[in-house]
Amino acid sequence: MRLLLAEDEKELSAALTAVLEHNHYSVDAVYDGQDALDYALTENYDGIILDIMMPKKSGLEVLAELRRSNINTPILMLTAKSEVNDRVTGLDTGADDYLTKPFAMSELLARIRAMTRRRSEFSPNVLSMGRITLNRANFELSGEKASYRLGNKEFQMLEMLMSNPGRLISTEQFMERIWGYDTEAEVSVVWVYISYLRKKLAALDAGVEIRATRGVGYSLEECQ
Amino acid sequence: MFYPRIKSEIREPDPRDEEFYQDKLYILEHVRDVLLRNIEQLRLESEEQQGRDPVDHCKSRIKSALSMEEKLTRRGLPVTLTAALENIRDAVGVRVVCPFLDDVYLVRDWLSGCPGLRLVEEKDYIANPKPNGYRSLHLIVAVPVPMIRGHQECMAEIQIRTLAMDFWAALEHQLKYKQQIGDEETIVAELKRCADETSSTDINLLALRELITAGKEELSPAGSDKQQPEIKKHSALRPSLKRRHQYRHLKEAVH
Repeated sequence: MRLLLAEDEKELSAALTAVLEHNHYSVDAVYDGQDALDYALTENYDGIILDIMMPKKSGLEVLAELRRSNINTPILMLTAKSEVNDRVTGLDTGADDYLTKPFAMSELLARIRAMTRRRSEFSPNVLSMGRITLNRANFELSGEKASYRLGNKEFQMLEMLMSNPGRLISTEQFMERIWGYDTEAEVSVVWVYISYLRKKLAALDAGVEIRATRGVGYSLEECQ
Repeated sequence: MFYPRIKSEIREPDPRDEEFYQDKLYILEHVRDVLLRNIEQLRLESEEQQGRDPVDHCKSRIKSALSMEEKLTRRGLPVTLTAALENIRDAVGVRVVCPFLDDVYLVRDWLSGCPGLRLVEEKDYIANPKPNGYRSLHLIVAVPVPMIRGHQECMAEIQIRTLAMDFWAALEHQLKYKQQIGDEETIVAELKRCADETSSTDINLLALRELITAGKEELSPAGSDKQQPEIKKHSALRPSLKRRHQYRHLKEAVH
Protein backbone atom coordinates (compact mmCIF):
# COMPACT_ATOMS: atom_id res chain seq x y z
CA MET A 1 0.00 0.00 0.00
CA ARG A 2 1.28 3.38 -1.01
CA LEU A 3 0.36 6.52 0.92
CA LEU A 4 0.93 10.21 0.37
CA LEU A 5 1.49 12.15 3.56
CA ALA A 6 1.12 15.93 3.35
CA GLU A 7 2.08 17.50 6.68
CA ASP A 8 4.13 20.68 7.04
CA GLU A 9 5.42 20.04 10.57
CA LYS A 10 8.65 18.24 9.75
CA GLU A 11 8.96 16.45 13.08
CA LEU A 12 5.41 15.18 13.07
CA SER A 13 5.83 14.11 9.45
CA ALA A 14 9.01 12.18 10.23
CA ALA A 15 7.36 10.41 13.14
CA LEU A 16 4.28 9.51 11.14
CA THR A 17 6.40 8.27 8.24
CA ALA A 18 8.40 6.02 10.56
CA VAL A 19 5.29 4.51 12.11
CA LEU A 20 3.56 4.03 8.76
CA GLU A 21 6.60 2.39 7.21
CA HIS A 22 6.86 0.16 10.23
CA ASN A 23 3.30 -0.90 9.40
CA HIS A 24 4.28 -1.89 5.84
CA TYR A 25 3.10 1.19 4.03
CA SER A 26 5.21 2.94 1.40
CA VAL A 27 5.10 6.65 2.22
CA ASP A 28 5.83 9.74 0.16
CA ALA A 29 6.12 12.70 2.50
CA VAL A 30 5.51 16.24 1.20
CA TYR A 31 5.49 19.46 3.19
CA ASP A 32 3.21 21.88 1.35
CA GLY A 33 -0.06 21.92 -0.55
CA GLN A 34 1.45 22.43 -4.00
CA ASP A 35 3.70 19.37 -3.67
CA ALA A 36 0.78 17.39 -2.30
CA LEU A 37 -1.27 18.25 -5.37
CA ASP A 38 1.53 17.52 -7.83
CA TYR A 39 2.33 14.15 -6.25
CA ALA A 40 -1.30 13.14 -6.00
CA LEU A 41 -1.93 14.04 -9.64
CA THR A 42 1.03 12.11 -11.02
CA GLU A 43 1.34 9.09 -8.73
CA ASN A 44 -1.08 6.33 -7.95
CA TYR A 45 -1.76 6.17 -4.21
CA ASP A 46 -4.01 3.90 -2.20
CA GLY A 47 -4.64 6.69 0.29
CA ILE A 48 -3.74 10.33 1.01
CA ILE A 49 -3.32 11.99 4.40
CA LEU A 50 -3.79 15.75 4.12
CA ASP A 51 -3.13 18.33 6.80
CA ILE A 52 -5.46 21.30 6.41
CA MET A 53 -3.09 24.08 7.47
CA MET A 54 -0.25 23.98 4.96
CA PRO A 55 1.84 26.58 3.11
CA LYS A 56 1.18 27.41 -0.60
CA LYS A 57 -2.14 25.57 -0.75
CA SER A 58 -4.39 24.50 2.07
CA GLY A 59 -5.41 20.87 2.41
CA LEU A 60 -8.96 21.86 1.45
CA GLU A 61 -7.80 23.45 -1.80
CA VAL A 62 -5.73 20.37 -2.64
CA LEU A 63 -8.72 18.15 -1.88
CA ALA A 64 -11.05 20.20 -4.07
CA GLU A 65 -8.62 20.21 -7.00
CA LEU A 66 -8.04 16.47 -6.77
CA ARG A 67 -11.75 15.70 -6.81
CA ARG A 68 -12.24 18.09 -9.72
CA SER A 69 -9.56 16.17 -11.61
CA ASN A 70 -11.42 12.92 -11.01
CA ILE A 71 -8.80 11.62 -8.57
CA ASN A 72 -10.84 9.38 -6.33
CA THR A 73 -8.12 8.19 -3.98
CA PRO A 74 -9.36 7.93 -0.38
CA ILE A 75 -8.36 11.03 1.59
CA LEU A 76 -8.03 11.49 5.34
CA MET A 77 -7.91 15.09 6.58
CA LEU A 78 -5.93 16.11 9.65
CA THR A 79 -7.56 19.05 11.45
CA ALA A 80 -7.11 21.06 14.59
CA LYS A 81 -9.76 20.65 17.25
CA SER A 82 -11.20 24.12 16.69
CA GLU A 83 -11.63 23.76 12.91
CA VAL A 84 -15.20 22.46 12.86
CA ASN A 85 -16.07 24.31 9.65
CA ASP A 86 -13.00 22.88 7.95
CA ARG A 87 -14.04 19.36 8.85
CA VAL A 88 -17.53 19.90 7.44
CA THR A 89 -16.19 21.54 4.28
CA GLY A 90 -13.62 18.78 3.91
CA LEU A 91 -16.16 15.98 4.12
CA ASP A 92 -18.54 17.79 1.77
CA THR A 93 -15.75 18.40 -0.75
CA GLY A 94 -15.03 14.70 -0.92
CA ALA A 95 -12.76 13.75 1.99
CA ASP A 96 -13.40 10.23 3.24
CA ASP A 97 -12.57 10.79 6.89
CA TYR A 98 -10.89 13.20 9.31
CA LEU A 99 -8.85 13.03 12.46
CA THR A 100 -8.39 15.86 14.95
CA LYS A 101 -4.97 16.65 16.32
CA PRO A 102 -3.62 15.45 18.60
CA PHE A 103 -4.45 11.84 17.84
CA ALA A 104 -3.33 8.40 18.93
CA MET A 105 -1.18 6.59 16.38
CA SER A 106 -3.29 3.46 16.73
CA GLU A 107 -6.39 5.43 15.72
CA LEU A 108 -4.67 6.88 12.63
CA LEU A 109 -3.65 3.38 11.55
CA ALA A 110 -7.16 2.05 12.12
CA ARG A 111 -8.68 4.90 10.10
CA ILE A 112 -6.23 4.36 7.23
CA ARG A 113 -7.10 0.67 7.19
CA ALA A 114 -10.81 1.42 7.22
CA MET A 115 -10.48 4.08 4.53
CA THR A 116 -8.43 2.00 2.10
CA ARG A 117 -10.61 -1.03 2.75
CA ARG A 118 -13.78 0.87 1.92
CA ARG A 119 -12.31 2.71 -1.00
CA SER A 120 -15.57 4.59 -0.72
CA GLU A 121 -14.75 6.66 -3.71
CA PHE A 122 -16.02 10.12 -4.20
CA SER A 123 -17.62 9.74 -7.59
CA PRO A 124 -18.99 12.72 -9.44
CA ASN A 125 -21.93 11.86 -11.64
CA VAL A 126 -20.28 13.30 -14.71
CA LEU A 127 -16.62 12.70 -15.52
CA SER A 128 -15.01 15.13 -17.89
CA MET A 129 -11.75 15.38 -19.77
CA GLY A 130 -10.73 17.19 -22.94
CA ARG A 131 -13.91 17.98 -24.80
CA ILE A 132 -15.89 14.97 -23.62
CA THR A 133 -18.06 14.09 -20.67
CA LEU A 134 -19.11 10.67 -19.44
CA ASN A 135 -22.38 10.57 -17.56
CA ARG A 136 -22.42 7.82 -14.97
CA ALA A 137 -26.19 7.98 -14.56
CA ASN A 138 -27.13 7.29 -18.17
CA PHE A 139 -23.87 5.97 -19.71
CA GLU A 140 -23.83 8.80 -22.24
CA LEU A 141 -20.49 9.77 -23.76
CA SER A 142 -20.88 13.29 -25.14
CA GLY A 143 -18.73 15.56 -27.23
CA GLU A 144 -19.56 19.12 -28.16
CA LYS A 145 -21.79 18.11 -31.05
CA ALA A 146 -22.77 14.47 -30.76
CA SER A 147 -23.20 11.79 -28.15
CA TYR A 148 -23.13 8.00 -27.91
CA ARG A 149 -24.79 5.68 -25.46
CA LEU A 150 -22.17 3.19 -24.33
CA GLY A 151 -22.66 -0.45 -23.56
CA ASN A 152 -21.88 -1.81 -20.11
CA LYS A 153 -18.28 -3.01 -20.64
CA GLU A 154 -17.33 -0.07 -22.83
CA PHE A 155 -18.67 2.31 -20.22
CA GLN A 156 -16.77 0.67 -17.39
CA MET A 157 -13.54 0.75 -19.36
CA LEU A 158 -13.85 4.43 -20.17
CA GLU A 159 -14.90 5.12 -16.59
CA MET A 160 -11.67 3.51 -15.36
CA LEU A 161 -9.61 5.47 -17.87
CA MET A 162 -11.29 8.80 -17.12
CA SER A 163 -11.12 8.25 -13.36
CA ASN A 164 -7.36 7.83 -13.71
CA PRO A 165 -6.32 10.33 -16.36
CA GLY A 166 -2.81 9.79 -17.61
CA ARG A 167 -2.35 6.62 -15.59
CA LEU A 168 -1.54 3.30 -17.16
CA ILE A 169 -4.10 0.57 -16.70
CA SER A 170 -3.07 -2.93 -17.70
CA THR A 171 -5.14 -5.45 -19.62
CA GLU A 172 -5.16 -7.60 -16.48
CA GLN A 173 -6.60 -4.73 -14.43
CA PHE A 174 -9.38 -4.21 -16.98
CA MET A 175 -10.09 -7.94 -17.04
CA GLU A 176 -10.21 -8.23 -13.24
CA ARG A 177 -12.26 -5.11 -12.59
CA ILE A 178 -14.72 -5.45 -15.45
CA TRP A 179 -14.88 -9.05 -16.56
CA GLY A 180 -13.98 -10.61 -13.24
CA TYR A 181 -11.55 -13.41 -12.42
CA ASP A 182 -13.74 -16.24 -13.60
CA THR A 183 -14.47 -14.86 -17.03
CA GLU A 184 -14.54 -17.05 -20.10
CA ALA A 185 -13.55 -14.04 -22.19
CA GLU A 186 -10.14 -13.95 -23.82
CA VAL A 187 -7.82 -11.08 -23.02
CA SER A 188 -8.09 -9.92 -26.63
CA VAL A 189 -11.53 -8.60 -25.75
CA VAL A 190 -9.82 -5.66 -24.03
CA TRP A 191 -8.13 -4.65 -27.27
CA VAL A 192 -11.45 -4.88 -29.11
CA TYR A 193 -13.11 -2.55 -26.61
CA ILE A 194 -10.15 -0.18 -26.72
CA SER A 195 -10.72 -0.05 -30.49
CA TYR A 196 -14.40 0.78 -29.98
CA LEU A 197 -13.57 3.59 -27.58
CA ARG A 198 -10.80 5.00 -29.75
CA LYS A 199 -13.15 5.24 -32.70
CA LYS A 200 -15.75 7.05 -30.61
CA LEU A 201 -13.26 9.46 -29.10
CA ALA A 202 -12.04 10.26 -32.60
CA ALA A 203 -15.57 10.68 -33.94
CA LEU A 204 -16.39 13.09 -31.11
CA ASP A 205 -13.19 15.08 -31.65
CA ALA A 206 -12.63 14.41 -27.96
CA GLY A 207 -9.27 16.11 -27.50
CA VAL A 208 -8.15 13.01 -25.59
CA GLU A 209 -6.86 9.69 -26.83
CA ILE A 210 -6.15 6.24 -25.49
CA ARG A 211 -2.44 5.54 -25.68
CA ALA A 212 -0.97 2.08 -25.52
CA THR A 213 2.38 1.36 -23.93
CA ARG A 214 3.85 -1.93 -25.02
CA GLY A 215 3.72 -4.56 -22.35
CA VAL A 216 2.26 -2.17 -19.77
CA GLY A 217 -1.23 -1.06 -20.67
CA TYR A 218 -3.40 1.83 -21.72
CA SER A 219 -3.82 5.39 -20.55
CA LEU A 220 -6.09 8.25 -21.44
CA GLU A 221 -4.11 11.34 -22.41
CA GLU A 222 -4.81 14.82 -23.70
CA CYS A 223 -4.06 15.06 -27.43
CA GLN A 224 -0.99 17.06 -28.27
CA MET B 1 -32.18 3.50 -69.94
CA PHE B 2 -29.72 0.63 -69.96
CA TYR B 3 -28.00 -0.47 -66.75
CA PRO B 4 -25.41 -3.22 -66.72
CA ARG B 5 -27.05 -4.49 -63.56
CA ILE B 6 -29.89 -2.88 -61.72
CA LYS B 7 -29.43 -2.69 -58.00
CA SER B 8 -31.18 0.56 -57.36
CA GLU B 9 -34.86 0.98 -56.91
CA ILE B 10 -36.46 3.38 -59.31
CA ARG B 11 -39.96 4.59 -58.74
CA GLU B 12 -41.69 5.98 -61.77
CA PRO B 13 -43.50 9.27 -61.26
CA ASP B 14 -47.30 9.19 -61.42
CA PRO B 15 -49.47 11.10 -63.92
CA ARG B 16 -50.04 14.06 -61.59
CA ASP B 17 -46.30 14.63 -61.53
CA GLU B 18 -46.16 14.58 -65.32
CA GLU B 19 -48.86 17.20 -65.29
CA PHE B 20 -46.92 19.44 -62.90
CA TYR B 21 -43.42 19.01 -64.30
CA GLN B 22 -44.59 18.88 -67.94
CA ASP B 23 -41.73 18.62 -70.42
CA LYS B 24 -39.19 19.31 -67.65
CA LEU B 25 -39.74 15.90 -66.16
CA TYR B 26 -37.18 14.42 -68.53
CA ILE B 27 -34.54 16.78 -67.10
CA LEU B 28 -35.20 15.54 -63.60
CA GLU B 29 -35.16 11.95 -64.76
CA HIS B 30 -31.89 12.60 -66.54
CA VAL B 31 -30.37 14.04 -63.34
CA ARG B 32 -31.57 11.08 -61.31
CA ASP B 33 -30.19 8.64 -63.87
CA VAL B 34 -26.80 10.35 -63.93
CA LEU B 35 -26.55 10.07 -60.15
CA LEU B 36 -27.75 6.48 -60.04
CA ARG B 37 -25.37 5.44 -62.78
CA ASN B 38 -22.43 7.06 -61.03
CA ILE B 39 -23.29 5.18 -57.86
CA GLU B 40 -23.77 1.99 -59.87
CA GLN B 41 -20.30 2.45 -61.28
CA LEU B 42 -18.80 2.81 -57.80
CA ARG B 43 -20.52 -0.38 -56.71
CA LEU B 44 -19.35 -2.38 -59.69
CA GLU B 45 -15.83 -1.16 -59.44
CA SER B 46 -15.55 -1.66 -55.68
CA GLU B 47 -16.91 -5.16 -55.92
CA GLU B 48 -14.49 -5.99 -58.68
CA GLN B 49 -11.47 -4.41 -57.00
CA GLN B 50 -12.05 -5.13 -53.32
CA GLY B 51 -14.68 -7.80 -53.35
CA ARG B 52 -17.13 -5.71 -51.37
CA ASP B 53 -19.89 -3.29 -52.21
CA PRO B 54 -19.87 -0.01 -50.21
CA VAL B 55 -23.58 0.43 -50.92
CA ASP B 56 -26.29 -1.75 -49.49
CA HIS B 57 -29.15 -0.21 -51.42
CA CYS B 58 -30.13 2.95 -53.11
CA LYS B 59 -33.47 4.72 -53.46
CA SER B 60 -34.46 7.63 -55.59
CA ARG B 61 -37.50 9.75 -56.15
CA ILE B 62 -38.70 12.71 -58.10
CA LYS B 63 -40.48 14.91 -55.57
CA SER B 64 -44.19 14.36 -55.99
CA ALA B 65 -46.23 17.25 -57.35
CA LEU B 66 -48.20 17.32 -54.11
CA SER B 67 -45.22 17.72 -51.78
CA MET B 68 -43.55 20.14 -54.18
CA GLU B 69 -46.65 22.34 -54.06
CA GLU B 70 -46.69 22.12 -50.28
CA LYS B 71 -43.07 23.12 -50.04
CA LEU B 72 -43.53 26.09 -52.38
CA THR B 73 -46.51 27.28 -50.36
CA ARG B 74 -44.63 26.87 -47.10
CA ARG B 75 -41.80 28.98 -48.43
CA GLY B 76 -44.20 31.63 -49.70
CA LEU B 77 -43.22 31.02 -53.33
CA PRO B 78 -45.58 30.93 -56.29
CA VAL B 79 -46.79 27.42 -57.03
CA THR B 80 -45.32 27.24 -60.50
CA LEU B 81 -42.93 24.94 -62.27
CA THR B 82 -40.43 27.76 -62.78
CA ALA B 83 -40.39 28.62 -59.08
CA ALA B 84 -39.95 24.93 -58.25
CA LEU B 85 -37.01 24.41 -60.59
CA GLU B 86 -35.30 27.62 -59.53
CA ASN B 87 -35.72 27.42 -55.76
CA ILE B 88 -36.24 23.87 -54.61
CA ARG B 89 -33.07 21.84 -54.60
CA ASP B 90 -34.50 18.43 -53.80
CA ALA B 91 -36.84 17.90 -56.75
CA VAL B 92 -34.51 14.99 -57.40
CA GLY B 93 -33.61 12.99 -54.32
CA VAL B 94 -31.31 10.01 -54.02
CA ARG B 95 -30.74 8.06 -50.82
CA VAL B 96 -27.68 5.86 -50.62
CA VAL B 97 -27.64 3.37 -47.75
CA CYS B 98 -24.24 1.93 -46.86
CA PRO B 99 -23.23 -1.02 -44.71
CA PHE B 100 -20.47 0.73 -42.75
CA LEU B 101 -19.83 4.24 -41.51
CA ASP B 102 -16.71 4.83 -43.59
CA ASP B 103 -18.60 3.77 -46.72
CA VAL B 104 -20.72 6.91 -46.29
CA TYR B 105 -17.69 9.13 -46.84
CA LEU B 106 -16.36 6.88 -49.57
CA VAL B 107 -19.59 7.45 -51.50
CA ARG B 108 -19.35 11.18 -50.82
CA ASP B 109 -15.77 11.30 -52.11
CA TRP B 110 -16.68 9.26 -55.15
CA LEU B 111 -19.63 11.47 -56.06
CA SER B 112 -17.74 14.72 -55.56
CA GLY B 113 -14.99 13.32 -57.78
CA CYS B 114 -17.32 12.33 -60.59
CA PRO B 115 -16.67 14.38 -63.75
CA GLY B 116 -19.35 17.00 -64.23
CA LEU B 117 -20.86 16.72 -60.78
CA ARG B 118 -20.36 19.74 -58.57
CA LEU B 119 -20.69 19.56 -54.82
CA VAL B 120 -22.69 22.62 -53.82
CA GLU B 121 -23.33 21.98 -50.16
CA GLU B 122 -22.61 19.37 -47.55
CA LYS B 123 -24.42 18.97 -44.25
CA ASP B 124 -22.86 16.41 -41.98
CA TYR B 125 -25.54 15.32 -39.57
CA ILE B 126 -23.29 12.44 -38.56
CA ALA B 127 -20.67 14.66 -36.94
CA ASN B 128 -23.45 17.07 -35.93
CA PRO B 129 -26.59 15.02 -35.33
CA LYS B 130 -29.91 16.83 -35.24
CA PRO B 131 -31.28 17.36 -31.70
CA ASN B 132 -33.67 14.43 -32.13
CA GLY B 133 -30.73 12.11 -32.86
CA TYR B 134 -31.08 12.00 -36.66
CA ARG B 135 -27.85 11.16 -38.43
CA SER B 136 -27.11 11.30 -42.14
CA LEU B 137 -24.83 13.02 -44.63
CA HIS B 138 -26.72 15.39 -46.91
CA LEU B 139 -25.24 16.67 -50.14
CA ILE B 140 -26.57 19.12 -52.66
CA VAL B 141 -24.95 18.49 -56.04
CA ALA B 142 -25.28 20.30 -59.32
CA VAL B 143 -25.67 18.02 -62.31
CA PRO B 144 -25.09 19.35 -65.81
CA VAL B 145 -28.00 18.84 -68.20
CA PRO B 146 -27.11 19.00 -71.89
CA MET B 147 -29.29 21.46 -73.82
CA ILE B 148 -29.39 22.40 -77.47
CA ARG B 149 -27.44 25.52 -76.65
CA GLY B 150 -24.78 24.63 -74.08
CA HIS B 151 -25.99 23.10 -70.85
CA GLN B 152 -27.72 24.06 -67.64
CA GLU B 153 -27.24 22.81 -64.13
CA CYS B 154 -29.89 21.11 -62.07
CA MET B 155 -29.67 20.59 -58.32
CA ALA B 156 -30.30 17.32 -56.55
CA GLU B 157 -30.19 16.18 -52.94
CA ILE B 158 -28.27 13.07 -51.98
CA GLN B 159 -28.68 11.55 -48.52
CA ILE B 160 -25.99 9.10 -47.56
CA ARG B 161 -26.28 7.06 -44.38
CA THR B 162 -25.57 3.67 -42.88
CA LEU B 163 -28.05 0.86 -42.51
CA ALA B 164 -28.19 1.63 -38.80
CA MET B 165 -28.98 5.31 -39.39
CA ASP B 166 -31.55 4.35 -42.01
CA PHE B 167 -33.12 1.83 -39.67
CA TRP B 168 -33.50 4.45 -36.95
CA ALA B 169 -34.75 7.14 -39.35
CA ALA B 170 -37.31 4.82 -40.90
CA LEU B 171 -38.76 3.71 -37.58
CA GLU B 172 -38.65 7.19 -36.06
CA HIS B 173 -40.52 8.48 -39.10
CA GLN B 174 -43.24 5.89 -38.61
CA LEU B 175 -43.60 6.65 -34.91
CA LYS B 176 -43.73 10.39 -35.47
CA TYR B 177 -46.72 10.06 -37.74
CA LYS B 178 -48.65 7.88 -35.33
CA GLN B 179 -51.46 9.44 -33.33
CA GLN B 180 -50.69 11.63 -30.32
CA ILE B 181 -48.89 9.83 -27.58
CA GLY B 182 -48.70 11.11 -24.01
CA ASP B 183 -45.44 11.97 -22.29
CA GLU B 184 -44.04 13.74 -25.34
CA GLU B 185 -40.74 14.67 -23.68
CA THR B 186 -39.98 11.15 -22.57
CA ILE B 187 -40.66 9.81 -26.04
CA VAL B 188 -38.38 12.38 -27.69
CA ALA B 189 -35.60 11.66 -25.18
CA GLU B 190 -36.01 7.92 -25.67
CA LEU B 191 -35.87 8.20 -29.45
CA LYS B 192 -32.65 10.17 -29.13
CA ARG B 193 -31.26 7.58 -26.74
CA CYS B 194 -32.06 4.87 -29.29
CA ALA B 195 -30.22 6.88 -31.96
CA ASP B 196 -27.17 7.28 -29.70
CA GLU B 197 -27.21 3.57 -28.92
CA THR B 198 -27.62 2.57 -32.55
CA SER B 199 -24.74 4.76 -33.66
CA SER B 200 -22.57 3.40 -30.87
CA THR B 201 -23.12 -0.07 -32.32
CA ASP B 202 -22.50 1.34 -35.80
CA ILE B 203 -19.03 2.56 -34.79
CA ASN B 204 -18.26 -0.72 -33.02
CA LEU B 205 -19.06 -2.69 -36.16
CA LEU B 206 -16.70 -0.49 -38.18
CA ALA B 207 -13.98 -1.01 -35.55
CA LEU B 208 -14.59 -4.77 -35.74
CA ARG B 209 -14.38 -4.77 -39.53
CA GLU B 210 -11.05 -2.96 -39.34
CA LEU B 211 -9.74 -5.44 -36.79
CA ILE B 212 -10.80 -8.31 -39.01
CA THR B 213 -9.39 -6.68 -42.15
CA ALA B 214 -6.09 -6.01 -40.41
CA GLY B 215 -5.80 -9.70 -39.62
CA LYS B 216 -6.13 -11.75 -36.53
CA GLU B 217 -2.69 -10.91 -35.17
CA GLU B 218 -4.07 -7.47 -34.39
CA LEU B 219 -6.32 -9.05 -31.80
CA SER B 220 -3.29 -9.21 -29.59
CA PRO B 221 -3.43 -8.80 -25.84
CA ALA B 222 -2.91 -5.29 -24.63
CA GLY B 223 0.23 -3.69 -24.13
CA SER B 224 0.86 -4.01 -27.80
CA ASP B 225 1.40 -0.45 -28.88
CA LYS B 226 -0.22 -0.93 -32.23
CA GLN B 227 -2.41 1.95 -33.12
CA GLN B 228 -5.78 1.48 -34.76
CA PRO B 229 -4.99 -0.65 -37.80
CA GLU B 230 -5.19 1.19 -41.09
CA ILE B 231 -7.37 -0.22 -43.80
CA LYS B 232 -5.28 -1.17 -46.75
CA LYS B 233 -8.16 -2.05 -48.94
CA HIS B 234 -7.95 0.48 -51.74
CA SER B 235 -4.42 -0.33 -52.80
CA ALA B 236 -5.60 -2.41 -55.73
CA LEU B 237 -7.47 0.46 -57.34
CA ARG B 238 -6.05 2.21 -60.31
CA PRO B 239 -4.33 5.48 -59.44
CA SER B 240 -7.14 7.87 -60.31
CA LEU B 241 -9.53 5.96 -58.08
CA LYS B 242 -6.96 5.60 -55.37
CA ARG B 243 -6.74 9.34 -55.10
CA ARG B 244 -10.43 9.66 -54.60
CA HIS B 245 -10.52 6.90 -52.07
CA GLN B 246 -7.64 7.78 -49.86
CA TYR B 247 -8.32 6.55 -46.40
CA ARG B 248 -7.20 9.93 -45.11
CA HIS B 249 -10.44 11.45 -46.34
CA LEU B 250 -12.48 8.87 -44.54
CA LYS B 251 -10.61 9.32 -41.34
CA GLU B 252 -10.98 13.07 -41.41
CA ALA B 253 -14.58 12.78 -42.28
CA VAL B 254 -15.41 10.28 -39.59
CA HIS B 255 -13.67 12.38 -36.98
